[in-house]
Amino acid sequence: MVERNAYVAGAAGGAVVVLALFVFAFVVPVDWVVALVAQLDTGLLSAALRLSVPIAFAALGGIFAEKSGVINIGLEGLLIASAFTSIAVAWALEGRVAPTAAAWGGFGAAVLASTLLAGLFAVVTIRYEADQIIAGLAVWLVALGFAPFASQIIWQSVNSPAVPTLDNWVVPVLVNVPVLGPAVFDSNPTVYLMLVAVPVSWYLLNRTAFGRWVRASGENPKALDTAGVNVTRVRYASVLLSGVFSGVGGAGLALGQVGQFIGSGQTMVSGRGWIGITAYLMGNYNPIGAFLSSFLFAGLNALQFRVQQIAELNIAPSLVQMVPFVAVIVVLALVGKTRIPEAAGEGYESGDD
Amino acid sequence: MTEDEPPARDARADGGDAGDGDRTDVEAGEDVERTDVDAGEMPSWSESAASRIVTASAKERVFISVAAFVASVLVGSVLVYVSGFLVDCPGGGFLGSCYNPFLVYYYLFVDPFIGGFNVALVMKESVLLLFTGLSVAVAFRAGLFNIGSQGQLVLGALATALALIFVAPYAPGGVLGSLVLVPFALFVGAAVGGLYGAIPGALKAYADANEVITTIMLNFVATNLVFFLISAYFQDPESGSVQTVAIPEAARLRPIVPFFEGAQFSVVALALGLGLVGGTFYVLANTAFGFDLRTSGLQAAAADYAGVDSNKLVVSSMTLSGALAGVGGAVYVMMVMARYRTGIPSLGFDGITVSILAGNNPLGVAPAALLFGVMKAGSLSIDFSLGVPKQLVGVLRGLVILFVAMPEFFRMLARYTPYGPDVDRAVATDGGDDDG
Repeated sequence: MVERNAYVAGAAGGAVVVLALFVFAFVVPVDWVVALVAQLDTGLLSAALRLSVPIAFAALGGIFAEKSGVINIGLEGLLIASAFTSIAVAWALEGRVAPTAAAWGGFGAAVLASTLLAGLFAVVTIRYEADQIIAGLAVWLVALGFAPFASQIIWQSVNSPAVPTLDNWVVPVLVNVPVLGPAVFDSNPTVYLMLVAVPVSWYLLNRTAFGRWVRASGENPKALDTAGVNVTRVRYASVLLSGVFSGVGGAGLALGQVGQFIGSGQTMVSGRGWIGITAYLMGNYNPIGAFLSSFLFAGLNALQFRVQQIAELNIAPSLVQMVPFVAVIVVLALVGKTRIPEAAGEGYESGDD
Repeated sequence: MTEDEPPARDARADGGDAGDGDRTDVEAGEDVERTDVDAGEMPSWSESAASRIVTASAKERVFISVAAFVASVLVGSVLVYVSGFLVDCPGGGFLGSCYNPFLVYYYLFVDPFIGGFNVALVMKESVLLLFTGLSVAVAFRAGLFNIGSQGQLVLGALATALALIFVAPYAPGGVLGSLVLVPFALFVGAAVGGLYGAIPGALKAYADANEVITTIMLNFVATNLVFFLISAYFQDPESGSVQTVAIPEAARLRPIVPFFEGAQFSVVALALGLGLVGGTFYVLANTAFGFDLRTSGLQAAAADYAGVDSNKLVVSSMTLSGALAGVGGAVYVMMVMARYRTGIPSLGFDGITVSILAGNNPLGVAPAALLFGVMKAGSLSIDFSLGVPKQLVGVLRGLVILFVAMPEFFRMLARYTPYGPDVDRAVATDGGDDDG
């Protein structure tokens, strides 16, 4: 079953790429193809990695929560909350401390805020047995409402001014490696964090006692309870972990890329949390697979930004901006039904209170 | 509201209450849910969610909705009070804060009823919410989350505007024109909204694509598509903003009643909305399609077993849901904007709150839309009169859903008061009775 899904996910990813190539090769004129291929450079790779950060972190968080039996579809809301908090705190600290310290202060506060909101979600779903999907939608809509409201209070506008950002870290020797060097080893700190978090998450989930508990809590909570492990505590830990991860992702988006908060429409997060959910479904709950899927979506997004700037293509930006969203729909349709954890979506009450 | 009821009384016992609109689905809900607990099949996101909310008894649902609304307004006012410390105000304030939460209540819930202009504003917001509220509710009853009402409304609205502009030269003017154009526009809005709703329905039915995510993605697609279509082909040359030219005068929905003169509100739209409330309720409660839809929402396996083509049902319920949102888009164009202009308010997301507040019952959508409409109108006056950002209504929108989602919280609260409705229901899992 697991292998079948992995194949399906792989095939889905491949199909998207092939489909894209097909469209570009046969439908699109040759000079377009030439112009597009010219875009595939280290700069694009670097941009794709950077754009992966919020998606991949949301996906990692979603994996832990859902594996433990709590479907957290509020990831988008967690990203919004952390993106907003990181900017607000960095803005407040600006001028009082060094710019780098202000940015890291914002980063820390963002992780805290996202974890607190995830904690609220955990209490609501675990303690009060709220419906997980509705509560997840609520987390999203609360954050979507609160961030512009608070922006308006603080900055008298739904958008913030620019704030100090997290500067790139250059790894001395490795940066000279061809292709990979400039693409990876001259990156934002949050990109390194992501590249570390992905294998660590995989190890945590598949090779440690905690990971076993998380998986058991989602598949067969009664058995885990019988074995003497507190299911509720495991679920709380997993949901809080999804908050920590999303916090890093949201702060990475705000402080590592954009440098300000944008609260109009769907805010600057603009669907990345939902794309994160798609990414881990496509990656079949495997952190590595989820990262690769995030990278695929981020790559499409990076390409999309580039394409807007190519004069000879002359495509309307609004048309190009649709591409990543359409890709998500296509991927979801190709991946189809994933095998979600047996007890996901259900509350669990231990017999011995 | 429930103080004369003995607390332990079972919900089904009062199923015969006169005027209890959703008697039939309470019965259906109870029976199916009880057997569904240990079905042991693969849980689907939406099935588990829909069933739990739908199965609360009618009385309990009203209690939960009211309690959730009160709770979110309370939390909202604390938020406003705290926010008041962050802003500067010249004329002092209230207990150290610039914002007085009691004045906020006044402007949110009392001021909207003072004066013809304010009442018209309330009516305008409420009428618009009827359509998206119904749209979300229909999908919900089928066990589907239509978060895409927004996109369906946006495309329905654009199609309506374009169709009206296209036929304008051939259409008669005056009353005759209105009689032809308005139904035509509503049909176009419903058709396009319905088609756009059918897409996630088909993806769900035939490719198992999760409808929460596809509908949200389709919202983004719709926004971009509309922006592209207008700026590339249908831009009003005399305007700086991205918008179409005006629709013909005969297709405008006018206030008609002198009291609402000059407002962006039409009694015709209100009648249409209320008609759809009744019609949707009738279809869900009294037709075979409605029965299949509700059964699928409660327990898809049972519906399957009963011979319902569940794939077809998913597509048709999403189409109906999208069509209702599309009608909302048509009304928005004809009643409010008189053209299509980008930056449509988030009526689709508000519709989620309205539907959830209504317990996903079409009849409940009317009072829920009014309640939320009052709040939306009130949010404009708190912004104008007190300087509290009108975005507050977005916070309340989310909080309401959060509180409705946790009935257990209110049951626990209820245990400490003598007014708790059906306190013992949570433990009354006495297997499958068959009194339906």
